[in-house]
Amino acid sequence: MYQYIARRLLLTIPVIFGVAILVFSIIRLIPGDPARAIAGVQASPEFIEQVRARYRLDEPLPVQFGIFLGDLARGELGRSTFSRRPVATEIGERFPRTFLLATTALVIATIVGVSAGIVSATRRNSMFDNVSMLFALVGVAAPVFWMALMLQLLFAVNLRMLPATGIGTWRHLVLPSITLGMASAGLMARITRSSMLEVLRQDFITTARAKGLNERFVIYKHALKNALIPVVTVMGLQFGILLGGAVLTETVFAWPGIGRLLVDSILRRDYPVVQGTVMLMAFLFVIINLVVDITYAFLDPRIHYQGEAGE
Amino acid sequence: MLSIREAGVTEILEATMSELLQVRNLEMSYYTNGGRVRAVDDVSFDVKPGEVVGIVGESGCGKTAVSLSILRLLPSPPAKIEGGEILFEGQDLVRLSGERLRRIRGDDIAMIFQEPMTSLNPVYTIGNQLIEAIRLHQQLEGKAVRNRAIEMLKLVGIPRADEVIDEYPHRFSGGMRQRAMIAMALSCDPKLLIADEPTTALDVTIQAQILELMRDLKERLHTAIIFITHDLSVIAEMADRVLVMYAGKIVEQGSVVDLFHDPQHPYTQGLIGSRPSMDVERKRLEFIPGSVPNPLHMPGGCPFHPRCPHAMQICRREMPGETQGENEHGVRCWLHLDKSDDQARPLRAAVGAAEE
Amino acid sequence: METNEIPGTGAQSHGYEEAEIPAVDLEDEEVSTGTVAAGRRRGVSEWHQVGKHLLRNRGAVIGLIIIGIFVIGAVFAPLLATHNPIQNNLTMRLQGPSSTHWLGTDALGRDLFSRMLYGSRISLNIGLISVAIGVAVGVPIGAISGFYGGKLDIFTQRIIDIMIAFPGILLAIIVVTVLGVGVQNVMIATGIASVPIYARLVRGSVLAAKEQSYVEAARAAGLGDASIVFRHILPNCLAPIIVQSTFQIATSILWAAGLGFLGLGAQAPMPEWGAILSDGRAYIRTAHHLTTYPGLAILFMVLGFNLLGDGLRDALDPRSRGN
Repeated sequence: MYQYIARRLLLTIPVIFGVAILVFSIIRLIPGDPARAIAGVQASPEFIEQVRARYRLDEPLPVQFGIFLGDLARGELGRSTFSRRPVATEIGERFPRTFLLATTALVIATIVGVSAGIVSATRRNSMFDNVSMLFALVGVAAPVFWMALMLQLLFAVNLRMLPATGIGTWRHLVLPSITLGMASAGLMARITRSSMLEVLRQDFITTARAKGLNERFVIYKHALKNALIPVVTVMGLQFGILLGGAVLTETVFAWPGIGRLLVDSILRRDYPVVQGTVMLMAFLFVIINLVVDITYAFLDPRIHYQGEAGE
Repeated sequence: MLSIREAGVTEILEATMSELLQVRNLEMSYYTNGGRVRAVDDVSFDVKPGEVVGIVGESGCGKTAVSLSILRLLPSPPAKIEGGEILFEGQDLVRLSGERLRRIRGDDIAMIFQEPMTSLNPVYTIGNQLIEAIRLHQQLEGKAVRNRAIEMLKLVGIPRADEVIDEYPHRFSGGMRQRAMIAMALSCDPKLLIADEPTTALDVTIQAQILELMRDLKERLHTAIIFITHDLSVIAEMADRVLVMYAGKIVEQGSVVDLFHDPQHPYTQGLIGSRPSMDVERKRLEFIPGSVPNPLHMPGGCPFHPRCPHAMQICRREMPGETQGENEHGVRCWLHLDKSDDQARPLRAAVGAAEE
Repeated sequence: METNEIPGTGAQSHGYEEAEIPAVDLEDEEVSTGTVAAGRRRGVSEWHQVGKHLLRNRGAVIGLIIIGIFVIGAVFAPLLATHNPIQNNLTMRLQGPSSTHWLGTDALGRDLFSRMLYGSRISLNIGLISVAIGVAVGVPIGAISGFYGGKLDIFTQRIIDIMIAFPGILLAIIVVTVLGVGVQNVMIATGIASVPIYARLVRGSVLAAKEQSYVEAARAAGLGDASIVFRHILPNCLAPIIVQSTFQIATSILWAAGLGFLGLGAQAPMPEWGAILSDGRAYIRTAHHLTTYPGLAILFMVLGFNLLGDGLRDALDPRSRGN
């Protein structure tokens, strides 16, 4: 088991390194002078030269990359060209809000999606199954920003039940997290259902029934743990997708998280912030995938033994 | 042969003991997109306490459907038991409530399946699954449950049982898994064990070991067994009595001695004739001409008539009833019934024609 | 790779299904080999089977109808449009739906129905072209990486790992950041974002196909690598590619609409659905038709492709077709 985790940890190192290269190249790939991109559009020529010297932009790329990695390791992400504040501060301020939003959305999506999926699978072709699968289809297909606007229109503008935008109380969290979680809930319901149906067809389910276990035990002990294995993978992926989706949701609900920060920074050509935000999001995604794989190994005892045997 | 001697013992027991299981006119169908498939058609048989009844037939003949019907383990839909009764110690399992049926499952009647590789839940340890079965039906607590589980694993010949109990199924070979399945099935001292092709998926040498184990356990525990297989040599070794199934119907039944020495139905004759004695690899019964009929387009009359070398006019129109011979040796074939000359006209000109 | 295994998917079906209902329209062999059969070459009759199965699937038929309506709208947009989609008419600002303006007008007095018709062109184009880019780049990468294996495979796998480290829309946003805003760049961005998906998919299929005896046979017959890959392996990966592409069209349309909504995609006055929605947002209290209808259009188009994808996946899987 520990060997498996260690192996999996080692595998993330080249990925994070690669992500760093990609983020590093953003500023070098956009047309124009990288020094100006880092310094900002309205920066004075002196400041631009200062930046050029600081990041050794006249020297070969590997040197520049070395500087970049060193800065990254120290959490030194430069300054926003817009607010002039350090990028780390900007992100540090906003990240907890996005994390709260995405986590709430994931919790909602998991609870709603997994339970709907289980009930749908056990009552296949029932009214509940049909209705919830229709909702799931719509939830997956509806654009998240449109859903956000529609919910805003209904619950904030027309019914005046919840605030339309902003942060502060739990009531501010309701609409953004439901919006954000909706697509994930739909996807999870569909995956839980099909995974559950697949598992319920397996021989060991017949074995469990033949033992005289009652149906609830058969489903919640024997089927569910097996059925959840693919669901866990999807959950992890969803968290990343939720972080991505936060870009749109945060824009609609004026939720000052890193998603909105990223969009604003792109539109303002505030590249140091773009770099920092993208790096953080990708880094998080890598970590989440790592956690998913490890959870997976705990759920499925076959995995880590295979790992021991090597590929 | 051992089994022949035992058949004699069973006959003596027969007189003193009542039937454990009586299946009467069982009808079971699958409702598929293509239409209704009668998987079990008017099947009746008995199992006495301690007796081993073999059900033999080609795949698709309904033998697994019979075995799963007994404990109502067939998913509904598509499966539906449409008639008949399954009396276990006088209770009709077909009409029993779910709750009371569950108390019988795994306790009085246990099952083992064909695929040991997939019959155990991969995400729980062997011990967990074994203990679960014991705890469900027996008044044992704490350490005693685990001890019982270890004892069962030892009984089925699993080495280092006290360590192995905490392993996951994927660490076990197929043969070991089947042993664990047998341990699980026997853990509550069932009166009846249904074994659905328990050795088919295993290597030949492992097959022999598992059969040896089952024979040994039968001697020691006096559990009645319904043994389902397509392999006649297994039947010859294991069973006291044999049911031969074809296309959902029992075409012949009798003691293992009678059936092998004096097969009455042309299908049974074909099976025995095609039984490979040396070539163990080719276990499949491929030597009867033709193939199992499509269950959605069952031929009328006796379903075997398209393949039968003795097929007569009447065979095409009507399924015969059972003729009882000595020793409860029953057969459903027109050869053994009265019919007019016209009805007895051969369906095909020459016997050899069916070989096409 | 082991983490991608889902229990049961590789296992042979057994239990109550066991041969009691032999699949009528399939050979025995195909039933028992399950996923392997999915990789076998399909003949004309097999495609016919797939088509028949697809048309029996209610969801797939609904999906096809929805897509058909949008395709007709897109192709015949110039004929069907009641107004010029980009001509302002400031006297007719923010009108609700009426007999002249079926879906109302926007803040510049442009007819929403006509704009949305042209918008379906843009969305379908984005969906198709970005998938074409994803396939054109991802499939060869996956095929080569899976076929040759070794260091090349390890290297490409790490690159794919890195690309997968970004949630799809984020990767698309990064590409747009570098390339600049605009519809063309959105197509490239969504296309690039789908490359790792295809590469993974094809690599897996190739690895499975490589083990099959017909590939051995082709090799023994002296065929070169290229013809083995193109004539014997890739045709067998076709089914998963088709299914994935159908879903990917839907995803690309959603991503593109999202980028349009953020102002990173199509630019004014282009009638892209996401952009229309974004423009209409300011008037949501007074003229919500500007957000409602484009959103519904995106929803239905995406739904249509998802339904079709579900249907194709079932139809192309011999295991589910057997039942």
